[in-house]
Amino acid sequence: MKKYLLLLVVGSVLLTACRKDEVDQIDGPSLTDIYGEFNIFTPFAVSAPAVDFGTGETVHFTAEFSKSVDWEIRITGQTSGAVKVISGFGATIDENTSNWIGDITEFPIFQTEICDVELSFLNEPDVFAETVEITSPKTNDGFLVADFESGFNSGWSTFVQSGANMDFQIKSDNFSPEQGSYFNMAGEVDWDYLIGYVYFDASAYGAAHYPLSNNADNEYFNFMLYGEPGLTNTIMLFQFTEDDNDDGNHNGSNEDMYSLELIVDWEGWRLVSIKYSDIPCLVNGQPAAPNGNGVHNPDKLTSINMLHLANPVTGFAQSKLDYMIFTQNGPLRP
Amino acid sequence: MKSALILFICCLSTVAFSQSKKKVQFVGGARSLISHMSMDPGAADTVSRRKATGGYALIDLGFKINPNAQTEILGMIRINNEFGGFWGGGVTFDVRQLYVRGVAGKILRYQIGNIDYKLTPYTFYNNDLDLQMNSSGALGIKQDVNRYETFYTNNNTWRQQGAAIDFGLAFPKVVNEIKFNGFITRLNPTNFANILERLYGGGNMIIKQSKYLTVGLNHVSIFDLKETAVGTPAYRNNVSTLTAQSTLDKDKWRLKFNGETGISTSGLVEDTSALSDYFINASVSFELKDHGFKASVGYMDNGADFRSFGAQSKRINYNNVNSMFDRYTNDQVQRTTSLYDIYNDPNYYNQSISTGIAAYNPALNNVLPFGVATFNRKGIYSTVNYQDKKKYIKLDATYYRLSEVRGQGTTELKKFDFAKTKLDVNVSEMLAWKKRQTVNVGWSYQATNRAPSPFGGISLTTQALQIGGEFELVEDLFLIGNYSYFISRGNELLAVRDGNDEIINFSEYRINAKEGYYAAGLRFNFSEDVYLSAFYEGNSNNDNEINPYALNQVMVFYVMKF
Repeated sequence: MKKYLLLLVVGSVLLTACRKDEVDQIDGPSLTDIYGEFNIFTPFAVSAPAVDFGTGETVHFTAEFSKSVDWEIRITGQTSGAVKVISGFGATIDENTSNWIGDITEFPIFQTEICDVELSFLNEPDVFAETVEITSPKTNDGFLVADFESGFNSGWSTFVQSGANMDFQIKSDNFSPEQGSYFNMAGEVDWDYLIGYVYFDASAYGAAHYPLSNNADNEYFNFMLYGEPGLTNTIMLFQFTEDDNDDGNHNGSNEDMYSLELIVDWEGWRLVSIKYSDIPCLVNGQPAAPNGNGVHNPDKLTSINMLHLANPVTGFAQSKLDYMIFTQNGPLRP
Repeated sequence: MKSALILFICCLSTVAFSQSKKKVQFVGGARSLISHMSMDPGAADTVSRRKATGGYALIDLGFKINPNAQTEILGMIRINNEFGGFWGGGVTFDVRQLYVRGVAGKILRYQIGNIDYKLTPYTFYNNDLDLQMNSSGALGIKQDVNRYETFYTNNNTWRQQGAAIDFGLAFPKVVNEIKFNGFITRLNPTNFANILERLYGGGNMIIKQSKYLTVGLNHVSIFDLKETAVGTPAYRNNVSTLTAQSTLDKDKWRLKFNGETGISTSGLVEDTSALSDYFINASVSFELKDHGFKASVGYMDNGADFRSFGAQSKRINYNNVNSMFDRYTNDQVQRTTSLYDIYNDPNYYNQSISTGIAAYNPALNNVLPFGVATFNRKGIYSTVNYQDKKKYIKLDATYYRLSEVRGQGTTELKKFDFAKTKLDVNVSEMLAWKKRQTVNVGWSYQATNRAPSPFGGISLTTQALQIGGEFELVEDLFLIGNYSYFISRGNELLAVRDGNDEIINFSEYRINAKEGYYAAGLRFNFSEDVYLSAFYEGNSNNDNEINPYALNQVMVFYVMKF
């Protein structure tokens, strides 16, 4: 009996002694973070006064506070007006939490310019300012279909209805989200949904097929689309025609065509990105089975047909398009 | 092997229930209540109603059927009639109980349907009510009614719907016997959309090695059945414990060791960050048999992430609101839950295990809000029990000196003190009176403290006193009376948790509350299980310092069990 008791008591003591030391651990947020006084321990700073995003350089910001706070860094291009917002919660801002690769949060895209950088806090009145110079903007890897900076590619084919106030052309003005030019699409056609189209044939780039991989889960189709304030009737239809039998042409009766249909009911520029394998097959706007092999084959893509549509009873429709690009491994981060 | 293994049925004598019984018996109870309640919200309140009258009569009629010596079937229906609700309105019919139990093959005891179940205080256990100390007199009647309504037993079981089995094996060598218990219950059904079927199951194996040593392995699991809903991740709360009991029993004294230790995991099945922690609770007790004296000391260490919702669920659902005078003052503020409400309002009581950290009232219980299995507590405790030979008095006292294991929002740990005492005085025995005269006293004290910091310290104390008496005037006619007092003062920082029970913030809690209660009346016992009682009670409350109020009530109870 004594040995049982001894064994149990010793066992209990050993088990109790096994508890890991939790002296430095706390449950929940620190009281210091909730009730403590806010002070700046290390002033807000930029890691470099100038950054060359075009060569892959990055820049980050640093600061240290007396307690964890919700902070926000807002970077605004002095010329472009582009905005990048980096936010977080903590007592420290460092490379891990504030690294900037030159991308944006709000259109347009940054240019070669000086940017204002402002650090502010959710529950504190303090604001700190810095500047950083972009010596060259970020470049994006991928296959560029169109950015309209070099005019209209002769390999593209286009059709525009003879409606009212028709305006299908490349424009260069302050509306451009990327560099200086974009493609404007506008008009009123009261007898047909179609207002106009542009077919971006692979042949325009010197090949029968787009130079994409065969992995549809890895190819992303991206473009920037502008919704006109007060107009919500534009329907953008992108058709992706494939050459399933590798004969150099797309035959709609026995080869796949996938379609992306968007109702442009927003205002301003928006980045649209979609994984190629997620693009459905549509017939009259409804999901349908493809006519070909039923497999998304980006390496067999022969053309991207961009159609600008609107219900004829809704009158004038308008939108703008820019920076159509295929990226790999993820959507575009402009 | 045959000689080495003997199957037996534990407590077979209790389940071979129908040998001498009738095949069909009527069991159940009846109760009637008439009450008139008035509230005094203060002269400034010109909006709130001040009086309410109500009552009901109900009968629980059960059919206990014994088709054979090994089987018992119970079906019980309830007919409840709110006063003034004849001719259909206010009358309800419910199924109150339904079970089948028996012995299969003279080996396996089973019960299907309603089961009252518990395992250990860390696995499956219905902890006592907050501040429940010693209820007799009017409070005893109310507690009796509430327990009947909620199926709470003196044995700390939870009423569940499911199935349970148990059987035992006896051995001639090495170990004396092994008992096996298992259960499975349903906590919530699927809605066929986004709520998964949730079950609660487990069991234990109790190995009695000898009269000196008993060891138990216990396991319980709350788990979702995958694919009973679409797109909803499955949840698990697994708890495994080891219990040990060692006894050295002599003629005049007894030395006993009791211990339980175990681990828990809680979280989504595919979530690698599921909470996991362990606990240990061990005590040694010493008993002087001839003197009715017993004392114990123990140590407990419940990890901050220890979760065992079968043992951490609360009887009271503090998210519920009062069903009587729930709002008052001209602004119609909500009346907070008082001790009086807990005794008075059956709507507060849970009848099932809740998954997730239950709401609690720090004024009523801040030290061990989830019973002895409360997470994030460690420290020592001791108990003293005394009953004199002539049974004049019976004293039970417990004291906990605990602290947090892990600080909340700071590395500074909260310290807890919790003392509670129950004293039963049998006055009639003491004075050699024939008429039964008993007085019961309960006292409870809780303190929570955390050292001052730049953000202020924590100091919360709660003290409660309950006195109840039953004095027989003439045969079977008792004068009953109660007095109780509750006071809670101080401040606390309460954890605000998100849907995953993780602390996301803290809210400041301040209280300066006093509550007084008294009752006096008569009770006539027609028999052991049938009585009629009428009493008047008054309650004053300033839980909300700005809006104190008083409640008064006349109640007439008729209670019968058969």
